[in-house]
Amino acid sequence: MILDWLPPTLIGFLLVLAGIGAVRRMNLWRAGQAEKVDILAGLLAMPKRYLHDLHHVVERDKYMSRTHVATGGGFVLAMVLVLFVHLFGVKSEILAWALLAALVLMFCGALFVYKRRMNPPSRLSKGPWMRLPKSLLTFSITFFVLTLPAAGILPEGTGGWILTLVLSVLILMSLSEMLFGMTWGGPMKHAFAGALHLAFHRRSERFGGGRSTGLKPVDFGDGVTIKEVHGVAKPTDFKWNQLLGFDACVQCGRCEAVCPAFAAGQPLNPKKLIQDMVVGFAGGTDEKYAGSPYPGVEVGNAKGAPDQIITNGLISSDTLWSCTTCRACVEECPMMIEHVDAIVDMRRFLTLEKGETPNKGAQVLENIIATDNPNGYSPASRTHWAADQNLNVMKDVKQADVLFWVSDGAFDMRSQRILRSFVKLMKAANVDVAILGDEELDSGDVARRLGDDAAFQSLAKRNLATLSKYSFKTIVTTDPHAFHCLKNEYGDFGSDALKGVEVLHHTTFLNRLIKEGRFNLSPLQGGSKVTYHDPCYLGRYNGEYEAPRELLASLGIEVAEMERSRYRSRCCGGGGGAPITDIPGERRIADMRMEDVISTGADMVAVGCQQCTAMLEGVVEPRPVVKDIAEILAGQLIEETH
Amino acid sequence: MSDLSSKDSSLDNLFRRDPRAEWIARNRLHPLHGEMLHAGSGEVRGPSGLLRKNPHVIGFIGPNGIKRIDRANVSSAAVGGKKRSGEAKEVQLPLHIVENPDFYIMVVADMVGGRLTGHDKDILGLAHQLVARRNGAVTLVCFGENKETQCDLAGVDRLIHLEGAEYEGFAPEARLTALQKIEAQYKPHHWLFPDSVHGGTDLACRLSARLGERLAAQAWQVNAEQTVCRGASASHDILRDTPRILTLMEECGDAIDETRHQVLPISLDSIEQVSPAVVDKGLIAVDSNAVPLAEAEFILSAGNGIHNWDQFHSTAAVLGATEGASRVAVDDGFMPRSRQVGASGTWVTARVYLAVGISGAIQHMQGIGQCDKVIAINTDAGCDMVKRADLAVIADSEEILAELTRLAQAYSSSKNQEEKSDAA
Amino acid sequence: MQPSVKVVSLVSVGRHPQSGRSRRAEQDGRAVELGLKLASAELTVVHAGNAQEQVLRQYAGMGLLSLTVLEQESDCDAVPVLVSFLQDKRIDVVLTGVRAESGESSGMLPYLLAEKLGWPLVPRVADIISIQGGAAEVLLALPRGQRRAVTVKLPFIASVDNAAQEARQTAFGPGLRADVKVLNVDSVVDEAASQWQISAAKPRPKRIKVVKAKTAADRMKAATAKPMGSGGKVMKDETAAEKAQAIFDLLLEEKVVR
Repeated sequence: MILDWLPPTLIGFLLVLAGIGAVRRMNLWRAGQAEKVDILAGLLAMPKRYLHDLHHVVERDKYMSRTHVATGGGFVLAMVLVLFVHLFGVKSEILAWALLAALVLMFCGALFVYKRRMNPPSRLSKGPWMRLPKSLLTFSITFFVLTLPAAGILPEGTGGWILTLVLSVLILMSLSEMLFGMTWGGPMKHAFAGALHLAFHRRSERFGGGRSTGLKPVDFGDGVTIKEVHGVAKPTDFKWNQLLGFDACVQCGRCEAVCPAFAAGQPLNPKKLIQDMVVGFAGGTDEKYAGSPYPGVEVGNAKGAPDQIITNGLISSDTLWSCTTCRACVEECPMMIEHVDAIVDMRRFLTLEKGETPNKGAQVLENIIATDNPNGYSPASRTHWAADQNLNVMKDVKQADVLFWVSDGAFDMRSQRILRSFVKLMKAANVDVAILGDEELDSGDVARRLGDDAAFQSLAKRNLATLSKYSFKTIVTTDPHAFHCLKNEYGDFGSDALKGVEVLHHTTFLNRLIKEGRFNLSPLQGGSKVTYHDPCYLGRYNGEYEAPRELLASLGIEVAEMERSRYRSRCCGGGGGAPITDIPGERRIADMRMEDVISTGADMVAVGCQQCTAMLEGVVEPRPVVKDIAEILAGQLIEETH
Repeated sequence: MSDLSSKDSSLDNLFRRDPRAEWIARNRLHPLHGEMLHAGSGEVRGPSGLLRKNPHVIGFIGPNGIKRIDRANVSSAAVGGKKRSGEAKEVQLPLHIVENPDFYIMVVADMVGGRLTGHDKDILGLAHQLVARRNGAVTLVCFGENKETQCDLAGVDRLIHLEGAEYEGFAPEARLTALQKIEAQYKPHHWLFPDSVHGGTDLACRLSARLGERLAAQAWQVNAEQTVCRGASASHDILRDTPRILTLMEECGDAIDETRHQVLPISLDSIEQVSPAVVDKGLIAVDSNAVPLAEAEFILSAGNGIHNWDQFHSTAAVLGATEGASRVAVDDGFMPRSRQVGASGTWVTARVYLAVGISGAIQHMQGIGQCDKVIAINTDAGCDMVKRADLAVIADSEEILAELTRLAQAYSSSKNQEEKSDAA
Repeated sequence: MQPSVKVVSLVSVGRHPQSGRSRRAEQDGRAVELGLKLASAELTVVHAGNAQEQVLRQYAGMGLLSLTVLEQESDCDAVPVLVSFLQDKRIDVVLTGVRAESGESSGMLPYLLAEKLGWPLVPRVADIISIQGGAAEVLLALPRGQRRAVTVKLPFIASVDNAAQEARQTAFGPGLRADVKVLNVDSVVDEAASQWQISAAKPRPKRIKVVKAKTAADRMKAATAKPMGSGGKVMKDETAAEKAQAIFDLLLEEKVVR
């Protein structure tokens, strides 16, 4: 047969091209900053990470997970077997039959991909992604036919040179997509980059059911040499594995679907942001982007290059400041891309290097630096709220079972009601509790999310120094933001002040007290319907979904769940300094969340965060009542009379 | 030094009976009986001559609609007026005379609008404390138009009034030249200036730099030997010897109120003015809405209850008020963020805060904590803003704003006419 | 704007009103901001005092490449060193705050400099609109947001009011990297100030209303009567015209409608 050599040659040729592409792509990633990664362990862990962790996220959409298992699994298996059967010419009917089976599997999967692409939801990117099901089908059919002779189903030479030629053209078409496109920036790039991203992920703790949500600290050096730039100015300022992570994006748009800022019409779309990062480190424009734009921003005008400052033409700073750091996108991302890390990295450059924190940001940061609280209140008035509470102060008692971290709610009259309710409950349970009083400083949450890691680290170090003076077993706080900082972010500063200390949110702590029977509650009467809003920094950041619900259940309340609850809870709009930077949109995030509440028919929404309380109470009345769980519990407390 | 020539006026305050009125009040058949009873007095004689109280005429209706009985009798001025017929009479205060003073204390007043300010009067009072019964004369130095008619009651013994085009508007250099002349001619013991943004501080600093005297700024406790003044942005008290030049804070002394003073003009040799280095080009018309919210004196603030925004803006313009807004109005995009009043917006210091359709979230109430007078227009009588307000009106905002616009326009046109007729 | 203009902004260490901590002084920050507007990168920023002071980094973070420090002790007088620094240079505009937030806070420094250098002084500047032909057009800040335009010949000294453009945000990185040029100067100890007794500010007593009553009954009345006007008045059932009239009367009484 005169053309028999053609298919193997084509396969080999495209493999070589793919190899060249892979090296080129890796070099693009390597332009990023160094970051230590255990290469071998990562590669070894990769299959498990894919099959377990990634699949766990994909599994939330059963249709897609099955489709992907069939298509992806079928393809990987088929591709390996194609190499043996057609490239190396291994003559084995078993292999050929296996190949045929893999191709059938892949074909079935590809049919479902095709079906979904017939009428795709708006969150999916179109463009090249629309031809992917066709390429998948072509691949499976072509190699199926090509393999039939090897499996002994058809005699050798069936169809003659014409069929071979036709098949060769089809091979060229499908393999261009599947191999060449994989490393040269086609839709299949996600498989190549995604696999490596899973292997070299910056937060390996996330795999195997773990959680890693604390931001990475900025390295300010040892004070002798001063770094030229803090934060991420240019794409190459990202760590190399962050760049790799951007490349892993499949543009499925799940992040876009859950992003509160996108829904509010603020100029942020997490998917587009990641794609713009790819445009940045690969160079070029966003003309080829075929998904939803940033609301109100036209696609096609963004230009990027590896050494070009990102906010100069690639993305506008408003996009970065729209993020509430609610982590909904990260939670939903099947490729486990870290959007929030990237956004805060770029914010750090804007704040630390350019001094361009928008709106009230500059003033808030200045206040934090000069008064250790974001609103510039006198540091000496931090304990005024507790004047009538008769609370122990650590300075006097030196040690206590529980340290109550009051947080900046101490200055806000609304939040003080939550604090007092919580104190009332702790007193009823006879908890040995103390507060830091005026020694406490802002946790640094706002400063850090606004990109001022210098202010955050200064606060963290001073807070740790204060904490290390006293002895306690547990820290409890009513503020999930402070809770997150204390639990997940203060560990980076080499202090053992929190070693062996349990950091708890007040809902967790109260739930324990109730289980221990430390105080009695009367059931909530009146048949009012109650729903619960999961604060981002309690739920997604720290995985506490149950304690608040158990507390409400202990009052005989059956929570009328919102459609978006638990890990899918929608942000109140108060995180990440968003109320401070205040980027205009078409709607307010808090209003949308209140609509979620109203749609359950609830007349009260229980919350576990003072920031959420403030945001939701800011919605114009009439609306359901907003109460912190501590307030609800304190209202039902049966006080013992002696 | 005081001359007690004026008569003691206490005789005029004696209780005087009116036998005829008493007789009419007793005689129920008298044709004037009813009138006399309702003339305002709660005091009625019964037929037996006993004092009768009519419970229906006692007291007054309080702000929340409940009847109050005012035992201190503060509000029933009408009754007192009847009893003490002489109270309205002007009291002639004793005249304080200084002849051939041994020394002078110069008070350079701000004279905002041509009249002594409360601050100026406090300083005049303090100047008399510094004179301390010696034979010194408190001398008022004022520039430009002087409309003050009560210099005598404010404690001015001597007056240097400098008038002329060269002192009008912004003319610190010309004024400094004049002060130097005074210094040369009278060698005052002290120069007292108000520590104010109306020019007092500026002039004091200029004089102090020119004379090489170290002034005490922001002084608030002063006697002839020692002075306490504020330093380090009012966080420190500095105790030091009283210098010759002082800028004084408000309420540094008590204004004169028990004596009259001579207000004798004293002469000044002619002053040679050189042309100033800083040339005044006049006041710039400033849109009341361009005034920063934190500085504004009168704020018209809009909340959720406003539906007609054009009307709101036009009312603010007619009243000459600076516009403010609640968070909701800003969030809904009707007002810019820079106009937001409250804990998360701007903390305002307005003298009058007129809140239209703002129910008063706690953050908002924190932001207006320093306002003197709060007026609320709201449909909800139970909201926090109404509770806080000095005057609250329960009505639809659109109606009231329309009426206010009408009143303001009528007021300004009548004022214009008045000015025209004045000029004529 | 006019790159040929030579501008010097003088900065001091401020004091946060709530925490009492050192900070970028409000008015000095504005002086730097105005200086940057006039001279952009050519602006010279000068501080007389401790070169190690961290607050200087906050000024530098406004985008200054360098900062000049006339190194001296805190008990020294800033005027002589600044005069000797300024007088030999061809400077057009010197900008300062109105009153320092630390130390004596007398606000005398710009006046003493102006007197010693023989330059005119423009107090409480809101903005410098233009500098052309050796003269500047300046806006003065008057109380309650009013403005006055003046012209002044160069060189001059201006004290910058709180009404001027707010200081831009200070950026940590550039502030850290800016060059602090330390000049050794012959400083003079402020002898007079060392005689003073300085203590924390006592709260000033509120002036109480003194009633000079002639009779015992009047005094009794003054002592027992509740202050008038407390407790809000609520108008509910009156007509709209009456309600509006009541509001308007109050506005007239408070003299905010003129």
